[in-house]
Amino acid sequence: MKFGFVRVLLLIAALFVAIPVHAEQRNFFKIGVITELSGDLVTGGNITKRGYDLWAQEVNAKGGIVIQGKKYPVKLVYADAQSNPAAGAAAAERLITQEKVDFILGPYSSGVTLAVAPVVDKYKIPMITGSAESPLIWKNKFKYTFGTIPPINFTGATSIKTLTEMKPAPKTIAIIGSNDAFSKATAEAYKTAAEKAKLKIVKFSIVPSGQDMTPLLSAVRSMKPDVIAFGGHDEEHVKFVKALKQIGYTPKALLMHCGITDKAFIDAVGKDGEQIFGTTCWTGTAKTKSNVLWPNAAAYAAASQKAFNNPGDYTQGGCSAAGIAFQTALQKIGAKPGMDEAMRTKLIAALEQIDVQTFYGRVKFATSGEFYHANVGLDPLTVQIQGGHVKTVGPKASVEAPAIYPMKDWKSR
Amino acid sequence: MKNRGATILAIIGAALLILPLVVHDTFVLRVLTEGVMWIGLAIAFDVIAGYTGYLNFGHGAFFGIGAYTIGILMMQANLPFWAALPLGGVAAAIVALIAGIPTLRLKGAYFAIATWALSRAIQQLALNVEFTGGPDGMRLEAFLNPQFFYYLMLITVGATFAILWYLLERAPFGLKLKAIREDEEGAKALGLNPTKLKMQSFILSALPTGILGGIYAYWITFIDPSSTLGDLVSDQAVVMVVFGGMGTLFGPALGAILIFAFKTIFWAYLSDFQLLYLIILGALIAISVIFIPNGLWGTMVKRKAGATRPEQKAEPASEPAALSAVAAPEEGN
Amino acid sequence: MMELLPQALTDGILLGGIYITIAIAFSLTYGVMHVIDFAVGEWIMFGAFTGYYLNKWTGLDPFLFLPVIFVLYFGVGYVIQPVIHRVLSGTKGNPFLMGLVFTFGLAIMFRGLALTAFGFYSNSIPSAFSEGSFDLEPLGLTVTIPTVRLVGLCYALAITLILHYLLKKTNFGLGVRALAQHKDAAGLMGVNSKRTGSYVYGIYVGISAMTGVLLGCILSIGAQMGNEYTIFAFFVVVLAGMGYLAGVPWAALLLGLVQSIFMIYFNPSHTLLAVFAILYIILLISPRGLFGKGV
Repeated sequence: MKFGFVRVLLLIAALFVAIPVHAEQRNFFKIGVITELSGDLVTGGNITKRGYDLWAQEVNAKGGIVIQGKKYPVKLVYADAQSNPAAGAAAAERLITQEKVDFILGPYSSGVTLAVAPVVDKYKIPMITGSAESPLIWKNKFKYTFGTIPPINFTGATSIKTLTEMKPAPKTIAIIGSNDAFSKATAEAYKTAAEKAKLKIVKFSIVPSGQDMTPLLSAVRSMKPDVIAFGGHDEEHVKFVKALKQIGYTPKALLMHCGITDKAFIDAVGKDGEQIFGTTCWTGTAKTKSNVLWPNAAAYAAASQKAFNNPGDYTQGGCSAAGIAFQTALQKIGAKPGMDEAMRTKLIAALEQIDVQTFYGRVKFATSGEFYHANVGLDPLTVQIQGGHVKTVGPKASVEAPAIYPMKDWKSR
Repeated sequence: MKNRGATILAIIGAALLILPLVVHDTFVLRVLTEGVMWIGLAIAFDVIAGYTGYLNFGHGAFFGIGAYTIGILMMQANLPFWAALPLGGVAAAIVALIAGIPTLRLKGAYFAIATWALSRAIQQLALNVEFTGGPDGMRLEAFLNPQFFYYLMLITVGATFAILWYLLERAPFGLKLKAIREDEEGAKALGLNPTKLKMQSFILSALPTGILGGIYAYWITFIDPSSTLGDLVSDQAVVMVVFGGMGTLFGPALGAILIFAFKTIFWAYLSDFQLLYLIILGALIAISVIFIPNGLWGTMVKRKAGATRPEQKAEPASEPAALSAVAAPEEGN
Repeated sequence: MMELLPQALTDGILLGGIYITIAIAFSLTYGVMHVIDFAVGEWIMFGAFTGYYLNKWTGLDPFLFLPVIFVLYFGVGYVIQPVIHRVLSGTKGNPFLMGLVFTFGLAIMFRGLALTAFGFYSNSIPSAFSEGSFDLEPLGLTVTIPTVRLVGLCYALAITLILHYLLKKTNFGLGVRALAQHKDAAGLMGVNSKRTGSYVYGIYVGISAMTGVLLGCILSIGAQMGNEYTIFAFFVVVLAGMGYLAGVPWAALLLGLVQSIFMIYFNPSHTLLAVFAILYIILLISPRGLFGKGV
């Protein structure tokens, strides 16, 4: 039996070592995708995957990326980060050393991104994440990591500003955030913006993730804030709206984040989702113009609707835009699949100089400061759910429909 | 028998030592490093759970405490890694000492749930204080040398294995712990001091776990409450130990290797079927509990003992097990 | 802040009602079978999705489906129980641990199945009760009681009373109690331990599934929701004294009140820290629960 044990060991060793070595030369781009396909963040992970998939599908439908007159299709190789930083780092190492990918499309969450970034720096493999938007990533100034979604502290101020322009202007605000990295940063961004806008903050609370917030909202109700702002994830958004409705408090405005722009949220809460405000940088009806892949946001939303029966949200769009950013930079430097290190260094330089109009809006990465390598080309939007659709209500230049304010009472809906 | 066993162990050990000279693939080294780490976590968990009979459902807390201690000492006190690393183990041991005194008075399910509640409380604490970075976690200086971490992990786990093997399988300490597991009152009547022994075994379980957590933090370069202080380590350790065979050192090591290999192979080469993996892993755990309740190693050892020396007992402890295993189907009818 | 107290207590009690429904059947199973079922949250999740799809399919109010869901999941539990029975009675040393690891495996498997079948989005079950609330104004203070949560509390109390009646007043209950006290002796007295165990497990799975529908109406549903409720089920059952059914409502109310008071009067981000610290300290002081009557 002991020899049986050794045999088992040898078999396992063989499985690890007997990995086929890939040829360097190929006529397609091999792209690694690291994202959370299992674990706590499975929802977000799958939304990012959809964004990357849709980009690859569209590129390949056109025959591939055109480099110096020749078309190179793209092939995505997935690695599940299991919502765990260690698995994310291992995924990066596998994609780089085993699959020999040309570049990487990055994770949904900031935590996994922070563990993956040093690894891609080490191997000098460029990565663009279409989703992670915690300010911490950019403060670390990783040379090979970029992001198409602007950090929340860059976008948060806009919707607060939109709300202060309402009539009669709100005077008080209660801000609540769930205790995870992204949601807490959202709540803090709203707090900073509210202080600047001279709104009186009657309550600022961070709550443990996933809890029933009814008692806290009862306390908030007694302070009668004009605005309630909440940073959380999809499931918490649903609970939050239902809790507010159950205690029967309708603020003049309820502000959440980009999660509300997903069709799934609107489906889940139905008419109770009406007139909720959100912060985003993109909607399916955004006024964008592009000559890469999709001509505008509406075309993208239609393609997404066809592929996933969902028009796609801001995260998904950001992920597709990440692909476009790579595509544009590759074309600019004429890089062919199987790039060597010198070429990848050139790719980084090209990404830093990129300034392109996409269906998602303008993509331009900051090259210094606290937003280093984050996309600062976009204009943040304030949106509101109206008639089951996401409508842009601010800032003035992008308005699609006037904001409905104050919010209609839960009971009379 | 023993010589052959030692020879095989020596061969495996030597093979693992020279492996990085042959394998240059950094991904394979990373996987092996993590595999070795899980062996260490599983055997350390088994000291208190398997040998002493106290199921610690908060094993992950020691891991996270080790990881955070290293992170805080290196990033905020600017201590070099080598100075910080032992302190990670010490911190975990101190927590084991403080928490052990009241907690180890509990038995069975109560102990399991108390340790679980304590580890959850520690996780919530890390989420709520400033110096851990709260939910944002903590980033360490990146030192990405695969060989360094492989050898560090291997040496730590190897030393842990050797020390535990000596203490638990060669010295009387292991027998004393087993006596507590089988009958705590009886052990007391024999003149043993169960309180002291349980404390020693709890600390012995925590110390290497804390050190492994510290190595993990420096290796992965990023830690946060959900990845290091969550249920992952505890859950996985329980599954590995039960699957491999409790109350031994080889069982948990085997369980760790097989479960980790299954996870990794599925993860690396079948990632399109990620959800299937959850289903298969779950089913595998449930089925193994039904069909090999003594774990793989336990079953292998018993079968061998039964085949070659039917007149002798395989192991003193497995005799009643054999009886009840035979009796069970009848009782079921 | 004192004017918030009536509302804080109301919220706490209503939250406690939710915890009763999660924990009461779980406690019964522990008392009889001595199994800590890690899959309790997954039974709740399956029930919630069954309610969700039945509602989508028929358009009827989810509360009307509760009996159907109970019967359906009673059957599932009845069929699965013999396997758990085998795990718990067939091994050496630590059957408690075996049961725990077995159900842990089930929970992982169920979560994988649910993610495959139901997808990864969060959802909500609409009900006629979701609308409206009772607003009381004692002494000039406003106290709101959401209808749906009140219904939840009533449901919890009804389940508690029915279980109480079953256990104390019927022959079946006598058998269950005998089994919980002494398995072998109960067997000698003619209690069919296997079948009684199956009924108990079936009742537990059925009640947990119904609870899922309720949670879907009050809070939200999702394929990953189970874990969260497993935690609260543990908490309540341990606090009540494991297997001590009569302690469950009190422990559940205590948990609800602790959460509610903490959220309102202290730093809300410390709520869970307080919850786990209290659980740990109570276990140290009185391992057999608040009433010292756990198994």
